[in-house]
Amino acid sequence: MTARRRLVPYGLLAPGAIWLALFFVIPMYFMGELALRSGTFTEGFQPAFEVSNFSDALSGNTDQFVRSFVYAGTATLIALLIAYPLSYAIALRAGRFKLLLLFAVVAPFFTTYLIRTIAWKTILSDDSPAVSVLQFLHLVPEDGRVLATGAAVIAGLTYNFLPFMILPIYASLDRIDTSLIEAGKDLYASSTQTFLRVTLPITAPGIVAGVLLTFIPAVGDYVNAEILGGTGTAMIGNVIQSLYLEQRNYPEAAALSFIMMLAILAVVLVYLRVAGSGAFMGDDEERS
Amino acid sequence: MLVALFALVAAVALAACGGGDTVGGGSDNEVETAQPGPVEGEFNISNWVGYIDKGEGSTIEEFEAKYPGTTVNYSEDINDNSDFFGKIQPLLDQGESGGRSMFVVTDWMAKQMNDLGYLQQIDYADVPNVDANLKESLRSPAFDPDRSFSIPWQSGMTGLLVNKRLAPDVTNINDLFDPQYKGKVTVLTEMRDVIPLMMKADGIDPEDATKEDWLEQIDQLQEAVDSGQLRRFTGNDYIQDLTNENVVAVIGWSGDIALVENDDVEFVMPEDGCILWSDNMVIPVGAPNTAAALAWADFVYDPKVQADISDYVRYVSPVEGIEEVNPSLAEDELVNPPEDFTADCSTQPNPPGSAEDVQEVTESFQAVVTQ
Amino acid sequence: MEAATATTARHVSDSMPARAWAWLRRNALMIFAGLAVVYMLVPILVIGLFSFEKGNDQGELDFAWDGFSIEYWTDAFGQTAVNDSMITSLELAALTMVVATVIGTLMAMALVRYQFFGRRATNLLIILPMATPEIVIGAALLSLFISYNFELGFTSLFIAHVMFCISFVVVVVRSRLIGFDRSIEEAAADLGAKPLTTFRLITLPLLAPGIMAAALLAFALSLDDFVISNFNSGTTVTFPLYIFGASLRGIPVQVNVLATMLFAVTVLAIVLVLWQQRKAEQMAAVRPDPEV
Repeated sequence: MTARRRLVPYGLLAPGAIWLALFFVIPMYFMGELALRSGTFTEGFQPAFEVSNFSDALSGNTDQFVRSFVYAGTATLIALLIAYPLSYAIALRAGRFKLLLLFAVVAPFFTTYLIRTIAWKTILSDDSPAVSVLQFLHLVPEDGRVLATGAAVIAGLTYNFLPFMILPIYASLDRIDTSLIEAGKDLYASSTQTFLRVTLPITAPGIVAGVLLTFIPAVGDYVNAEILGGTGTAMIGNVIQSLYLEQRNYPEAAALSFIMMLAILAVVLVYLRVAGSGAFMGDDEERS
Repeated sequence: MLVALFALVAAVALAACGGGDTVGGGSDNEVETAQPGPVEGEFNISNWVGYIDKGEGSTIEEFEAKYPGTTVNYSEDINDNSDFFGKIQPLLDQGESGGRSMFVVTDWMAKQMNDLGYLQQIDYADVPNVDANLKESLRSPAFDPDRSFSIPWQSGMTGLLVNKRLAPDVTNINDLFDPQYKGKVTVLTEMRDVIPLMMKADGIDPEDATKEDWLEQIDQLQEAVDSGQLRRFTGNDYIQDLTNENVVAVIGWSGDIALVENDDVEFVMPEDGCILWSDNMVIPVGAPNTAAALAWADFVYDPKVQADISDYVRYVSPVEGIEEVNPSLAEDELVNPPEDFTADCSTQPNPPGSAEDVQEVTESFQAVVTQ
Repeated sequence: MEAATATTARHVSDSMPARAWAWLRRNALMIFAGLAVVYMLVPILVIGLFSFEKGNDQGELDFAWDGFSIEYWTDAFGQTAVNDSMITSLELAALTMVVATVIGTLMAMALVRYQFFGRRATNLLIILPMATPEIVIGAALLSLFISYNFELGFTSLFIAHVMFCISFVVVVVRSRLIGFDRSIEEAAADLGAKPLTTFRLITLPLLAPGIMAAALLAFALSLDDFVISNFNSGTTVTFPLYIFGASLRGIPVQVNVLATMLFAVTVLAIVLVLWQQRKAEQMAAVRPDPEV
């Protein structure tokens, strides 16, 4: 019985782990090997141990690196500030309409990003009412614009990754028993206290998951910068895209990808340490 | 750990048999000539979206009617030269074409593929209509002087798209760099369109330009980026920017003018001429049914067939004599440009020199685009 | 600061502005949520609006409002290329959603419920695919498929889509599983329920919101993917691939029509499901008390 029980997790893991091993780990192994090759595309990239690919990839692209993390971080923060109250309202206040609202909020993302982005470009075009309002509020300079700026890229990232934030937060909020909040109110009196001491801790796993799901893919995104950005707003994803497709420097593209993945992992590990990895891993001992 | 171990073992096992080969570098296969023969069976062609009318009574159906027993699988799976190359190159490198008998790519991409040994040669005896009807101006472009591996599908002009109300005096590429249009102009991400146009405006013939000329123009572009003059680098998403008047003048493609729903926007032939380019039919290595591919190329060079295609696509047709079939096509100088209209235009050039030189120029340009 | 504001509000509670302020404060959450919903829906409204726009002479989107027309709604399925790619994408997304959700949920259960050797490595295996640039995954998978002479098409797309959806499913389902009260399951087991019965009757219903959220995300991810699909599609054309290609030549207005329809059908389907489920929900309104 115990031996069988010990095998249970491996049984549960097997389908996913095998899928990821075959179709992620193995291809990435090839990429890793490619990242160390030397040569040019026309001559052919020969097997080697060309560590300089990594330093080449990093030098000259530091601006884009910093920008990617700043843009993605800002977008994640804004997405959290929008998604939490929204998910809270849907999960706890919308009653039996909550499913309807949840789907209504997510369904726009069933439309291809190109169509959504064209819509945003229409809304935010230089002479549009939306931009005039922003100019009136002095959020945008009198002769300024929104499109083709870093702000537009951040706005695009925020919008396009919002479902990644909303869904896990919703899933964790939805299990809150409202009687718990009532009890909290009796105990702590102020609703702020109740929120901080009852609601927030219960939803912490959802927040942690949402932040990860938003931040990680946002760092490597290139579409928003390409469509909504202007000159000087390129992210690291755009550089990788260019290295791979335009310059056909596969080794450097692969090397840059690995550097980016390592940097993301580092940020994620620091974040999990601060946020408490229990909220992500579900370790009982770490949670208590 | 078991899982990680499994993955590792699998990866290493795989690497042992799969790794080690050279990546890229082109094919070692001998250059073949596309074989003619009886036209029958399945025929797969890949083209760009919207490059043919697929509706009822279409060119495809006419072709199938002319050659009974032939089935045309026409896929619109090409969006972008670089993207397409990225996805088909590993196949071509193995001497396969993914089942495609023919596909359509732009001049420089056709050249790049041919240089790598990925394309079959074409014997003009097998395509008499092409021999007879290909326009004189397209017969010997620099990248393929004998048209030995490429047959134009449609052509186009790269020049200026200008909002005449907001920027009435933009007539030259250098006018784009006038400070009064700061943040209101864009250029293409396509280096072989932008840099040669800038050279022409500076009096340099792109065909004779040196690597230094290319690099110098790229530096000028960098300055325009630094000063905020250039709003962004675009594909043809400038269509929306022009329609909504986010921009007043751009470097763009003639065929797009029909898509800009703003009466003030016009195609302006730059004072120093445009860049002429073609998207070309090519027959890749390992292509099945090359007989049907040759028959198809010949078929679309029949002016009667071409007139239908041209009427739908509204780019520049590479075929002589379509205006006799459909006189309305003669009126539009963007579809059927008279010779004096394009007199100063150049074909799309490649940076000069060795592969390394081209790579250096490409890298400098891309560094400007992705900053 | 919180308390101070509250006192001031109570102190002058008779004046109009104060009452308005109090109302605002009471309903701040709902007002904010309402604005957020509007924000989320604005693009779909614009898309819907422009599905009624005249378009250009070739029936393509022209980004500027210059005339109302319902011709594209009456001819909603008139563009075969649009329909075909849409059907391909919906099939692909549905299949991906089912498989990725099942696989991912099992993984999440293993990771949260069990302490086992290799847990950290597995966690890494989950995070890495999300952190990998799409183009690198796309290109790497392509070389894999080609080196095994695997024919590119729907199947290769399906493999790729499930691959990149798994991680997202695991992370979402796991966030629901953490802090999950196990005592109900134990109670069921004490009462003699077999493990599978417990799973079906207790665990699954409690996990449902997490699984549904994950499935929704997987569906949207698959339906929206461009980069990885572009590499591994062969000659299969999905909706995003079609749109991208069409954008070079002008996007048929029918694309907006179908997008609007898809949204409307989704929302209508939910309304219907809610209608059906109301009674069932009332009957199964047993709600366990999760502990803090």
